[in-house]
Amino acid sequence: MADNPTSWSMRVIVGLLFLFLLAPVLLVFPISFSGDDVLAFPPNSWSLRWYEELVGNSVLMSAFLTSIGLAVVVTALSLIIAVPASYAIVRLKVTGSEFLFNLFTAPLLLPTIVLGLAILIIFASMGLLATFTGLVIGHLVITLPYALRVLSVSLGNLNLACEEAASTLGARPLVVFLRITLPMMASGIVAATALCFLVSFDEVVITLFLTGPRITTLPVELFHHVESQADPLVASASVLLILMTLAVVVTVDRTMGLTKAFIK
Amino acid sequence: MMHQTIRGGGIEAIDDPYLSLRDINKRYGMVEVIPNLNLEVRKGELIALLGPSGCGKTTTLRMIAGLISPTSGTIAVGGRDVTHIAPHGRDMGLVFQSYALFPHMTVAGNVAFGLEMRGLPRAEIAAKVGKALDMVQLGHLSGRKPRELSGGQQQRVALARALVIEPSILLLDEPLSNLDAKLRDEMRAQIRDIQQALGITTVFVTHDQVEALSMCDRIVVMKGGFIEQVGTPHDIYEHPVTPFVASFVGRTNRIKGIGGQDGSIRIGSSTIRAAAPAQKGDVTVMVRPHRVHIDWDLAAAERQTHAANRIPAALFRITFVGDVIQYHFSIDGSEFIVEEATVRSQAGRRPGQTAMLSWSIEDTSVFGAGS
Amino acid sequence: MTVAALDLPIAAPKSSSRAGIATVLLLPIALVNAIGFLLPVLNLAKMSFNEALAGGGIGEAFTTANWTGLLQDQFYLELLVNSVTVSLGITIATLLASYPIALYLHRASGMWRTFLTVLVISPLMTSAVVRTYGWIALLAEQGPVANVIAAMGFQPPRMMFNTTGVVIGLTEILMPYMILSLMAGFGRLDPKIEEAAQTLGATPFKTFWRIVLPLTLPGIALGCLLCFVLAISSFITPKLMGGGRVFLLATEIYDQAIVTLNWPLAATLSMLVLIIFGLALAVYSRVLQMIDQG
Repeated sequence: MADNPTSWSMRVIVGLLFLFLLAPVLLVFPISFSGDDVLAFPPNSWSLRWYEELVGNSVLMSAFLTSIGLAVVVTALSLIIAVPASYAIVRLKVTGSEFLFNLFTAPLLLPTIVLGLAILIIFASMGLLATFTGLVIGHLVITLPYALRVLSVSLGNLNLACEEAASTLGARPLVVFLRITLPMMASGIVAATALCFLVSFDEVVITLFLTGPRITTLPVELFHHVESQADPLVASASVLLILMTLAVVVTVDRTMGLTKAFIK
Repeated sequence: MMHQTIRGGGIEAIDDPYLSLRDINKRYGMVEVIPNLNLEVRKGELIALLGPSGCGKTTTLRMIAGLISPTSGTIAVGGRDVTHIAPHGRDMGLVFQSYALFPHMTVAGNVAFGLEMRGLPRAEIAAKVGKALDMVQLGHLSGRKPRELSGGQQQRVALARALVIEPSILLLDEPLSNLDAKLRDEMRAQIRDIQQALGITTVFVTHDQVEALSMCDRIVVMKGGFIEQVGTPHDIYEHPVTPFVASFVGRTNRIKGIGGQDGSIRIGSSTIRAAAPAQKGDVTVMVRPHRVHIDWDLAAAERQTHAANRIPAALFRITFVGDVIQYHFSIDGSEFIVEEATVRSQAGRRPGQTAMLSWSIEDTSVFGAGS
Repeated sequence: MTVAALDLPIAAPKSSSRAGIATVLLLPIALVNAIGFLLPVLNLAKMSFNEALAGGGIGEAFTTANWTGLLQDQFYLELLVNSVTVSLGITIATLLASYPIALYLHRASGMWRTFLTVLVISPLMTSAVVRTYGWIALLAEQGPVANVIAAMGFQPPRMMFNTTGVVIGLTEILMPYMILSLMAGFGRLDPKIEEAAQTLGATPFKTFWRIVLPLTLPGIALGCLLCFVLAISSFITPKLMGGGRVFLLATEIYDQAIVTLNWPLAATLSMLVLIIFGLALAVYSRVLQMIDQG
């Protein structure tokens, strides 16, 4: 009595499709250990030369540091801005809350190519092109909606009675927020942190419009590199990116479970 | 003075009430949840707000706590008007139905919170927390987190947390409804003991009439935003003043009858009288099942003359409920249940037998039709 | 402890001060939203009605020249049609590749299901550049895919620097989105319904065609909408895998903005993308209505 879904043909098909889904990401790993001069799979020889090249490539390394610095700043600002905003929308519930929530999460609905172009044009007249500040604002535009979403859900799920209990025990509203609300939102804050960091770190299209010779990020540099020549150097850099992402994801999973964080 | 907003009776003027609610009105937009409520509570009294869901009892409690503001009216504690004071300034202890323990703090941390808000020195806080936890027998769990505790234990922590601050008033919002029956019984007794030992004025919200009857000094029966009756458990149970109170608290029989010129009531071919004269026309008579005496010798009973109400009836069902046996009679087409303690009941009764049912006039309540 | 021991009581905050507090709390996000989103997008819309001056500046006068020029230009009309058809093709391919996985995942449970779900989501965590690079490695001439095809006895087709490669790459990249959308829409699918159908005599194929498929239509519609809009606005993969020979809306926007510096034209193309978005959304709503009406 084999159920149709678990029939062997179905299993094979699903297996092949999973292979299709994961192939490119998996492939990057062996290629990074290639000893060839050019991109080829399977590699004709193996070595660590491309990792050495990566570390020695000052452009890529400084771009990497810029990416991290940018992601850290953007993440911190996202939390500082989105936590009060989510409190205002979810707890204070003033008129127009729902409209404001939709407005503030609207940037996610726009394709990044359009958003990137729009920001490019405005920033050009404001002198923010190829500046760290410009990059921060450009990234905030897309990380804030994510942060607002996650934090609003987290706040909405809190047991209001705990805040009321604290109030009846003598805590003023600000104390309630700092001692009760915020700690109870911890898992949501962790999820928002991870999300903002990854979104900023991996961001390419908008960043493409906002970078220049003076300041660039790792994904953008990789993009230019692949544009001109696709060699195994990109693979080793990609492995670096993937491991970084894995580290962040595992940390989130440790704190609260990955599927709970992102699948609502 | 109290306005005529209590439908039923049982109004007693209280000298020097500790907690008083005057002309409280609560409206949400067009909906008037509580039209006009007046209540006075003595110091040290344990009073229950009893009623079905939606009657306004929780709304009233939350207004006392300051979590909701009344649309109009005043609330005073110890003579001081607290109507416009925020919850954190009212010095009340509130125990929630869901306990609302702070999940990220230990048991000791939870109990200490109110004391920290009052700026007490750390040593004093530790001492008071220890005493409060001992009072609810949870001293050995002070380092645990709420999620590691059972429902009953969480409830006791919530109680300790509310009591340790020595509040003017203790408020309990259906604190026992999430516990299983056995635990509920134990907690009822414990809460009552602690309340009396501390002499703390307490308002207790519940929909469980057994809870109200067994624990409280006075009961406030509410329905639809109105107070139906205020009185001691005995008053409420034995002398309900409205049909709702009669049927909500304890079991009761209802029979339709016709009120006559002299205040008597005609049911079928029998005539009975109620404690108060009946109005003319269609009325509803209510009698408690355990107040009725069964005389199985119909012929002999009919020859007797009593000052009590007597009606012959036919038995159609017997239900055994453990310590009580219910005899289901039919009177004028309606069901009429008589309860007898199992030990005193005789065996051998069968459906189809007839008997004379009698009960005293004082035990008879009569209300208008449509009750 | 009497009430007097507490601080002076504060009146419960009135609704007007709540609005005041809320305004302060919302100010920063509103600021970023205004500078980084509202202002730029509105400016972009306006710019599509400005003229690109010969010297490289932007004329201030209102003109529909960009739009009329665009819609009369053969190249751009082809670009438009090409983008839409390629995106539709990608959407269908993604649907076909994702549906079995989504179905399998929906029927799985426990640790296995969690593990597989993580596997599905994990590619989303890597940059589009990395995934595209992986495809470049896979589809290159003399690459692994070509070798496998050759080993089976066929002439391996050219898959790099042309639309084929872009379609394959984008299909894979968009699969996680489609899978998640499908699974979200599978809510109405209960194994008991399929069992009921089978006890009534339906063959596995008929069960699928008459029961499973119709019930999962909302999920399919959502997934297709999502994939279509992502495909038609996709930039990285077409740019890198197309090698400058694949012309789609997004690549053209980039080229006009960065290379040719014709911002008004780029703006007009962007507005076009948004219009296509709107149309796709309208079609989606209509499809949902039709599904609801059975």
